[in-house]
Amino acid sequence: MSRPVRNVVIVGRDAAAWLTALGLKRAFGRQGVNVTVLELPSMVRSADVLVGLPTLEGLHRLLGLDTDDMLAATAGAYALGQQFANWSQARPPFVHAYDTHGAPIHRIDFLQHWLKARSEGMNVPLEEFSLGAAAAKHGRFVVHGDATSGFSKARAGYHLDASAYIRLVRQKAIELGVQRQAGKLGEVVRSDSGIVSVSLAGGEPLAADLFVDASGVDAVLIGKVLEQPLESWSPWFGCDRVLVTSGPKLNPLPAMSRISGFKAGWIGMFPLRDRTPVVAAYDSRRISDAEMLQSASVLCGMRLGDAFVAPCEPGMRSAPWTGNCVAIGEAAVVLEPLDAASLHMIHVGLSHLITLFPVSAEAMLEAEPFNTSMQNHARNLRDFQIVHYRLNGRLDEPFWDRARETPPPPELAAKLDLFAARGAVALYDDETFQEENWASVLIGHGLIPRGYDPQVDTLAPDELIAAFQRMLGFIASTVRDMPSVEAQLELFAPLPSNASF
Amino acid sequence: MSAQRIRDIVIVGGGTAGWMAAAALAKVMGTQAYTITLVESEAIGTVGVGEATIPMITMFNNVLGIDENEFVRETNATFKLGIEFAGWRREGHSYFHPFGQFGVDMDGVNFNHYWLRWMLSGGSNDYGRFNAETEAARQRRFGRTGHGPQTSLPNINYAFQFDASLYAAYLRRFSEKRGARRIEGQIVKVDRNGQTGLIERLTLKDGQTVQGQLFIDCSGFRGLLIEETLQAGYEDWSHWLPVNRAAAVPCAKVEEPIPYTRSTAREAGWQWRIPLQHRTGNGYVFCDSFISEDEATRLLMSRLDGEAQAEPRILRFVTGRRRKSWVGNCIALGLASGFMEPLESTSIHLVQVGISKLLAMFPKGGFNPLITDRYNAEMEADYVNIRDFLIAHYKVTEREDTPFWRYCKNMDIPDSLATRLEIFRTRGEAMVVQHELFKEQSWFAVLAGQGLMPVDYHPVADLLSEDELKLRLAKIRTGIQDRVSGLPTHQAFLDSCARAPAA
Repeated sequence: MSRPVRNVVIVGRDAAAWLTALGLKRAFGRQGVNVTVLELPSMVRSADVLVGLPTLEGLHRLLGLDTDDMLAATAGAYALGQQFANWSQARPPFVHAYDTHGAPIHRIDFLQHWLKARSEGMNVPLEEFSLGAAAAKHGRFVVHGDATSGFSKARAGYHLDASAYIRLVRQKAIELGVQRQAGKLGEVVRSDSGIVSVSLAGGEPLAADLFVDASGVDAVLIGKVLEQPLESWSPWFGCDRVLVTSGPKLNPLPAMSRISGFKAGWIGMFPLRDRTPVVAAYDSRRISDAEMLQSASVLCGMRLGDAFVAPCEPGMRSAPWTGNCVAIGEAAVVLEPLDAASLHMIHVGLSHLITLFPVSAEAMLEAEPFNTSMQNHARNLRDFQIVHYRLNGRLDEPFWDRARETPPPPELAAKLDLFAARGAVALYDDETFQEENWASVLIGHGLIPRGYDPQVDTLAPDELIAAFQRMLGFIASTVRDMPSVEAQLELFAPLPSNASF
Repeated sequence: MSAQRIRDIVIVGGGTAGWMAAAALAKVMGTQAYTITLVESEAIGTVGVGEATIPMITMFNNVLGIDENEFVRETNATFKLGIEFAGWRREGHSYFHPFGQFGVDMDGVNFNHYWLRWMLSGGSNDYGRFNAETEAARQRRFGRTGHGPQTSLPNINYAFQFDASLYAAYLRRFSEKRGARRIEGQIVKVDRNGQTGLIERLTLKDGQTVQGQLFIDCSGFRGLLIEETLQAGYEDWSHWLPVNRAAAVPCAKVEEPIPYTRSTAREAGWQWRIPLQHRTGNGYVFCDSFISEDEATRLLMSRLDGEAQAEPRILRFVTGRRRKSWVGNCIALGLASGFMEPLESTSIHLVQVGISKLLAMFPKGGFNPLITDRYNAEMEADYVNIRDFLIAHYKVTEREDTPFWRYCKNMDIPDSLATRLEIFRTRGEAMVVQHELFKEQSWFAVLAGQGLMPVDYHPVADLLSEDELKLRLAKIRTGIQDRVSGLPTHQAFLDSCARAPAA
C-alpha cells in the first residue's frame, strides 16, 4: 500500500487557515495526521465582518463549535436573509430570506400559483408568503414548531465579528493539537510532483505530504509558486474596490443584512450586537476612495469609524488542487462580499477536502473531482451574484447601464431564459442556493415569468384566494408570537455584561 | 362620652400635606355637611425644589378626579419611571429601581426565580432588560399604556416629578373651588377640653379663633398640635438612617428632562436630581456628623449640571416617627407624623396613606380608641416597612471609602431587616406581605442593585426545560422591546400633555 498522508502544512492566515486546520485535525487527527499552520500576518481589519449562510451551522457541527458559544464570542447576530434596496429606481426593496414561499397547493409549487394569481391582478409580493422574510422584516427569530415545520424552512444565517471568530477558531484548533508557527513566508522548495517544503523567514524548512494554501488573494503557493492563473470575472461585476468600516449598533437589532445599490456600486450593513459593520463595493473609476468614505456615512445614515480599502478582483483558479497543494478560500476563488460568498467558499473547499482527503501521499487522484466540484460551486455562486447586476433597474447611470448590458455567462443566460418563460429554476450540479433562493432574487429584481405551469389552472379561483389568505394570516400570527432576534441572542448567546443602568 | 358629631375640620399648615388633606376631604366628605378650614402662614415657606412621587399618586389624582394633563401643566411636572441609584453599590456603578414588574410570573412563581436560574447558569446579570420601565428610562421614552391595540404588552407604571409649591397651589385652587376656606395667620394658642383633652379651638396672632371637632396637623416637623400640644412622642431612627440635613437648590435645565429621578451616593449621604419641565431640583442629603453644612453646600453647588437659580437652603431633621399619629381628635400628616429622607420618594405617599386611612376610618361622632389604635398600628407598620427598605440601601453596599459609608456598611440593623436580607440571599425572595408598599420587585431591584445577588431560587423554576425557559424569557424580553420601541420620547409626550386633556 502506498504511503498515507501524515503531515499537513497550511500556509496562510485568518479564517481560511484556521477553519481548515481545525477541520482537518478533527477529521484526521486521531488517525495520526499532524497539522501545522504557518501563520502569515493577518489581513483582517478591526472593522471586518464575516457573513455566514444557515449552512454554516453544519460546518460548525463538523468542527465541534457550539453555535451559541460562537455567537457569544463574536458579538454575533442572526441574519434571516438579506434585504436589497435601491437596485432599481422603480421597484421596492425586497428580502431574500433563507426560506421557501408559501406551501404547495395540490402538490404544485406555490410559486406557480402565485404567478397565476399575479397574472390575474393580485398584487401581494412574493415575499409576503415567506415566513422567513416576514420574520426578517420584523426583527424576529423563527422557532420552528409543528405548525411551521410543514410550511417554512426558515433558517438563520450569521453576522460575525471577523477578528473574534478567527480567534475562537484558532484557539479551538490549538487546543486540539494543531501546531502553529507565525511569521513571514521564507523559502518554498518544489519538485516536479509538487511542493517539498516551506519555511518561514529565518526558520527551518517544513516538509509535508499535503500543503494547503490559505493565504487569501496573495495565493503564495498556488499562484506564486505553482503559477496557477486567476481567471478574472471582473467584466460581469464592475466593482474593483471594497471599503470596510463600522458604525454604532443598530437599535432594535435588525434580523437581516441590508444591501443598497448606489450610483457606483453597492453598500451593505451587516449588524452585529455591539457595532454595525459596513461594506461597500464600488468602481474606483467612478468614485474615489475619499468620496466613497464620505458617501458611506450618508448612505448608511450613521457616523462611521476607521475605514479600510482593498482592491477586489473576482475570479478563480481552475485547478485549486495542483499536485500536493490545495488552495482554500480566496487563494482559490474570489467573489464579491455579497450573498455570504466568502465564508461559504471556505466551507465548500474545506468540506470537499475532508471528503476527498488523499488516501495516498504519492498520487493524489482526488484533485480532479475536487477541482470540478469547486469550479461548479464557484461559478454557480458567481452567477447568483451576477444576477444582482444583470437585473438592476437603475437606468441612465453608466455603472449600472454597463452592468445591465453585459451579456451573462451562458449557463446563467439559460437559467434566466427558463425562469422568464415559466418560473422554473434550472439547478445545476453543486449549487449553493436552491430554487427558492433563485426565485426570491430573480423576482425581487423584477424578472417576472411570462407563463406558469398549466397544471395550476385546475384550481378554482376561490380555493386559491382562500389558501393565500390562510397563509398570510398564519404568517402574521406566527410572527407576532416569535421572539426578537435580539432577545433570542440575549437568552441563548448572552454577551458578557457588567450590568449598569 | 359625648358623641358630638363632627362638623368642622381644621387643617393646620398649608404645605403639600395640608392642601392634599384639604383637597381630599373637600372632594370626598364635601363642604355641605362639613366645613373645611386650613390655617397657614405666608411667613412659613415651603421648599419647592422638586418633589418626586411613586405611582400610587395616580390613585390620589383619580380620587380627586383631576385631569392628569392639566395637573402636569399646572405643576411643571415630568413623568417618572423609577429612580437611578448611582454610586450606591460602588463608585461608577449604577442601577435602576423601576416602578413596574420584572418579566411575567409563571406557574405561580415570581419571575425573579426564573431569571435567577438563567443568570446563575451563565446568563447576563442585567435584570433591567426584563423590565419595561427600566428600558424606557434607558431610552428616555415615556407613554401611557393600557389603551389601544397592544394591550398584551407590559404596562408602563409611572409617577410624577413636580414643583411641590406649584402642587400645593394647584390643590389650594382645587380645594377653595370646592368650598374649603383658607385663613392666613400664625397660631399662638391651642385650647383643649379640660375633661376629654380634645382640641377645641385655635387662636391666631390677630386674635381670631378657629373652632373644630377634628384637627389635622400638617404643621411640619415641629408638630404644633401632635407634639407641642399633645406630646405624642417621637421615635428616633437616626442610628439606622443617620442623614439629618439637606441642602437644596434648583438649577437651570441643561437637557430635555429625563423620565426618572437620579440619586447619587456622595461622601456623607446622597444627592438628588429631579428634572422638572422648566428646571432641575437638586439637593444633598447628608449627616452633619460626617460633613459640615458649609462643606456639603459647597459640594452641592459644585456638582450642579446647570446654573443655580437660587441660594441653597438648609433643612434640618431627625429621621423617625411620631409614636402616635392620631391622638384624640388630632391626626398628624406629613412631616408632623414622621420624617424619612426622600430616597424612595415616600413623603407624599405617606401623606396620601394617612389621608386614605383617615377617610376609611372617618369618625361619625366621637372617637373610638379601637379605631385610633388601629390607625396608629397601620401607620406604624407602613413607616417601619419603608424604614427597613431605606436602611437596606445603606447597609447593603460595597462602599467603605468614607467614614460615613464605613459606618453604614457596619451598623447594626433591625432584626426584621436582617432576617429579610438573609432569606433573600439564600432563596431570592424578600417575603413581602400583602400590605407592604415595596413589593418583591422593588426589593429585588434594590438588593440586587446594591450587590446582594441571591445564590439560589425557588425549586419550581427548575421544572422547565432549559430551552423552554430561554424561549419564554426571550418572548418576555421581546414584549418589553416591542412596548418600549412603540413609546414616544419623554419630551414628545410632555409636549402632547401641554396641548390637550388626558384621553
